[in-house]
Amino acid sequence: MKASLNWLKRYVEIREEARVVANDLTMFGLNVEALKSLGADYSGVVFGRVLECAKHPQADRLSVCTVDTGGKRPLNIVCGATNVRAGMGVAVAVAGAVLAGGFRIKKTRLRGEISEGMICSEKELGIGADEQGILELDLTLGPGVSLDGKLGGGDTIFDVEVTPNRPDLLSHIGIAREIAALYRRTLQAPQRMALRHENGFRIEMEDQGDCPRYSAAFIDDVRIAPSPDWLQELLTGVGLKPRNNIVDITNFVLLELGQPLHAFDRDRMGRDAIFVRRGRSDERILTLDGVDRDLGEDVLLITDGVTPIGVAGVMGGRATEVTSETKRVLLESAYFDPRSIRRSRRCLKLDTEASYRFERGADPGVTVAALERACRLIADTGAGRPAEIYADALAAADLVVPRTLAMRTRQANRVMGTMLAVDDLVELLSRLGLKTFFAGEQVTVSVPTFRRDLREEIDLIEETARLYGYDNIGREEERHGVICAEISPFDRRNEELCDRLAARGFAEITTSSFMDPGDPERLQWRAEDSRSRPVKLENPLTAAQSAMRTSLLPGMLRVAGRNFAAGLEGIRIFELDKVFLQRSEGEGLPEEQYHLCAVFSGRSGPLQWFEKQRDFDFFDMKGEVESTLEYLGVQAETGTTHRVRDDECCYNWLYKNKIVASWGGIPFHIAARFDVPAPVYFFDILLDAFPPGWAGRVVSGRISQFPAVKRDLSVLAPERVGWSDIRTVVRKNAKHLESVTLFDYYQDDQLGHGLKSYAFRMIFRSHEGTLEDAQIDTVIGAVLDGLQEELQVALRSE
Amino acid sequence: MRDPAPDRETIAQLEREAQEAIGKATDAAQLEEARVAFLGRKGRLTAALRSIGRLPADQRPIMGELINEVKERLGVMFERRRDELADRSHDREHDRGDASLPGRRGWEGGRHVLRRVIRDAKEIFVRMGYSIAEGPDVELDYYNFEALNFPPDHPSRDAQDTFYVNRDILLRTQTSPVQVRYMERHTPPLRIISPGRVYRNEAPDPSHAAEFYQIEGLCVDVNVSLSDLRGDVAFFIRQFFGPDAKVRFRPHFFPFTEPSAEVDMTCFACRGTGCAICKKTGWIEIMGAGMVHPNVFRYAGYDPEMVTGFAFGMGIDRMAMLKYGIDDIRRFLGNDIRFLKQFWNEQWAGVPQ
Repeated sequence: MKASLNWLKRYVEIREEARVVANDLTMFGLNVEALKSLGADYSGVVFGRVLECAKHPQADRLSVCTVDTGGKRPLNIVCGATNVRAGMGVAVAVAGAVLAGGFRIKKTRLRGEISEGMICSEKELGIGADEQGILELDLTLGPGVSLDGKLGGGDTIFDVEVTPNRPDLLSHIGIAREIAALYRRTLQAPQRMALRHENGFRIEMEDQGDCPRYSAAFIDDVRIAPSPDWLQELLTGVGLKPRNNIVDITNFVLLELGQPLHAFDRDRMGRDAIFVRRGRSDERILTLDGVDRDLGEDVLLITDGVTPIGVAGVMGGRATEVTSETKRVLLESAYFDPRSIRRSRRCLKLDTEASYRFERGADPGVTVAALERACRLIADTGAGRPAEIYADALAAADLVVPRTLAMRTRQANRVMGTMLAVDDLVELLSRLGLKTFFAGEQVTVSVPTFRRDLREEIDLIEETARLYGYDNIGREEERHGVICAEISPFDRRNEELCDRLAARGFAEITTSSFMDPGDPERLQWRAEDSRSRPVKLENPLTAAQSAMRTSLLPGMLRVAGRNFAAGLEGIRIFELDKVFLQRSEGEGLPEEQYHLCAVFSGRSGPLQWFEKQRDFDFFDMKGEVESTLEYLGVQAETGTTHRVRDDECCYNWLYKNKIVASWGGIPFHIAARFDVPAPVYFFDILLDAFPPGWAGRVVSGRISQFPAVKRDLSVLAPERVGWSDIRTVVRKNAKHLESVTLFDYYQDDQLGHGLKSYAFRMIFRSHEGTLEDAQIDTVIGAVLDGLQEELQVALRSE
Repeated sequence: MRDPAPDRETIAQLEREAQEAIGKATDAAQLEEARVAFLGRKGRLTAALRSIGRLPADQRPIMGELINEVKERLGVMFERRRDELADRSHDREHDRGDASLPGRRGWEGGRHVLRRVIRDAKEIFVRMGYSIAEGPDVELDYYNFEALNFPPDHPSRDAQDTFYVNRDILLRTQTSPVQVRYMERHTPPLRIISPGRVYRNEAPDPSHAAEFYQIEGLCVDVNVSLSDLRGDVAFFIRQFFGPDAKVRFRPHFFPFTEPSAEVDMTCFACRGTGCAICKKTGWIEIMGAGMVHPNVFRYAGYDPEMVTGFAFGMGIDRMAMLKYGIDDIRRFLGNDIRFLKQFWNEQWAGVPQ
């Protein structure tokens, strides 16, 4: 809402500077988002009084003045004007001030004389055209008082943020009412012309729910002309274009009282009646903005009983527009249901000042007063002769009856944390112009129809708190009783997991919750994979953001791609966040799962001097997923690993018969679809499968004090045998085994077709005593026998 | 052949020779060789000690003591030299003639600045006694709007452009639905925060994103007041932004709180004197807050006559932008490693310097 300071001054005395008013309103809940001075264009200018004035010793046309500007000593100022004289009150731009056109004042020297500022003319201040003489100020101000906003009579426009609960503030009278409450001043109601109620004119509503009240006034002998200057100036100031006296007055009343009015040319209405009804799909209307619009059930119309003459509460029709020919006018002042206006507005995609107010809730009690105000202005400006009557159709009388609300002192103090007495509360509320009574410990308030937001006790408590001042309530150091906090162990474990990965050299990232619905296909996920059926949005920002992600992978791949494009050589990133999976029934909210996903691509480490750079490979990834799973309390080898597809290096990991992790490589051609120029390795763990503490309590075990014995073996294995088979057999047969570690592996045709060589180190240790060589020899024998019998794996003979 | 009886001069000579041998030894083996030659079972000093029997009886203890002192001194020297040589051989192994060669390093990693800010904020609230509650991102219209006192068709629903999945299901526009769900399952007193991602159907620009993080707080008890709210908010802000940060409460409107306020903080850039960042006001809006509306309690099944409560909510992205001078909210989801790594090194979670 744009509010003009001059306009507000019509209803309440405002002595304060515009900036002070703006700040006070902001702290009162009317956030002034911007402040614009019309005309005056300067800052840093103060009031000064010329003490002495002498001829410049070097220049005839200049004077050297000493000017009191409130400082410790008067300023020395060189002035070129002829009208300057001692004793004069002047506007002084001191060093640092900015004048019209952005001219900045500095301390300077003019023909040998120091000048510490400038005595200003009207032109220099941007408040007038006079540039010859300096501006003489006949003000009783102290020297040094800032003149910002005080000169030129230019108006100041406040841009006030009005919250949806306060439609009454979409008017100057509403804001003036708040200022009156804020500064404890009286509000002056605008003058009206008393009209008499007479129901000769026919007004009908098809549905009183859509239009609970319709009032009308009638103007005869209309003389269309431009409206007076003061009216045009006020409208222009808040950004409205003046049109003619009748239209300007309806706009003025709209901005003054917040009640939208509409003027119909009564002679151009097909029938002399008003009928409010819903539109039909075969109807059209040419609205004032020149657009021919299709109507329908969703649009509420004003008709003359036959033809639509306006879209109710939104915009009038061209056919009944007020023109220079207009002689008789019907003034509409109605109250429409916010929901029906919202429907019309949405259907026609048409936003107007009127629809904005009706949607937020106009005041059904003000319709006639607004007509009376308009009639007064019309009569006073000679725009026409108002008939002394008004017509009115009102659905229910209680619409316009003030509501009564009560507020208990104890409850008010309890919510605010204050100890105010009942008469304090009465004083605060009555400042808003509310009629209050009190009995015992309760304040009763009569709520006028324009404050429809005051519905229950808490609303009055809020008003009380606002008037009392939030910043006057309580000290900031106050703390209430202690409630002990719980931290979710899941949350805490996940934080630690992230810290751990970060310390291991992974960069944490956070990607969008949205997914491109084409991503499952890009990643070649199977159609039956639940990740291929994402939840879709009805109204996405873009097609690429139209689904909820079913995996963290696509977003992470794109991040990898962007970083490679930015010049990174290698990337190791992770994300821990939610994915969204449709439930199989497809009904209700999707399942939200927490996943941990990591992506490796490009160089495995920075360029260094002691070894060659290499690329990340499958086993870099596998080491990390194994380590992470161990951290989560499970050994990767205790689950089952399944290759997802024969032709791809991608594995699902099943634990207790459920897929809870997957890992592998993404081949180059798929990575390229996400602009990643290198093969990618990834792992993805469903964290919900491992709630913290699921593996049970850790119990400290025995640590043997006896020495370890190391033995290395090198074996040849046939093609079908893998390391995990060998490891299993070794573990089964090796007594006293502490660990078995593979330290060499290769495949070579020289070994024999399909044969593979594995070399591993076994460490033996006992809790009972030092192991003797003979004991170990027996164990090694058992291991070799086992390998031979179960796997046809033989000791290599050199 | 028997050794001649030792005299002082011979012993002194032996000590000098031994010292020389110790000094000359350049590795452990040479040193051990020298040790055996002098101090070993068949070493020269040992032999001297063994032959004191040939001295007159009254001189034997004096000479014995002398030789033992020398043995002891040499023993210490041998040990010291052994340690020296061990250290030196160790150094040699790694000093390839240029100690300024860079050390071995891998890729560095670190937490995402936004996630770290969320964690820092959570930690502060936990210290203040707030438990952490979570809820779904894809939410029912009921929890996001209706139970929070947004009537259907109310224009305040317009203020938040919402992503819909269907008529009843949407992406939450705030984390307040978590509070409603929490209240349904718990009875007061309670004090929770609900951190999480929220969604607004807005075209992105440097200060608006369609997805961002919020933390909302809720405290319900028999006598919680606006004054308590001010205390908690001020404490949090001082902990998060530093002890000089001041807050002010401006009346405002939210459907789910009443009285409602917007909370401003003194501008960290100009410390309240007014600059471009705070639009010359000296204040920066950081939070919405207020007393829980009785209707919200009614929806949750609480009796507004029995309890009062306060709630507050803030955008974490904005807080992180303010704290670290980040110019564009889209950087968070951009994940440019060059941007992220600025925040990897030590910056104490609490108060900026």
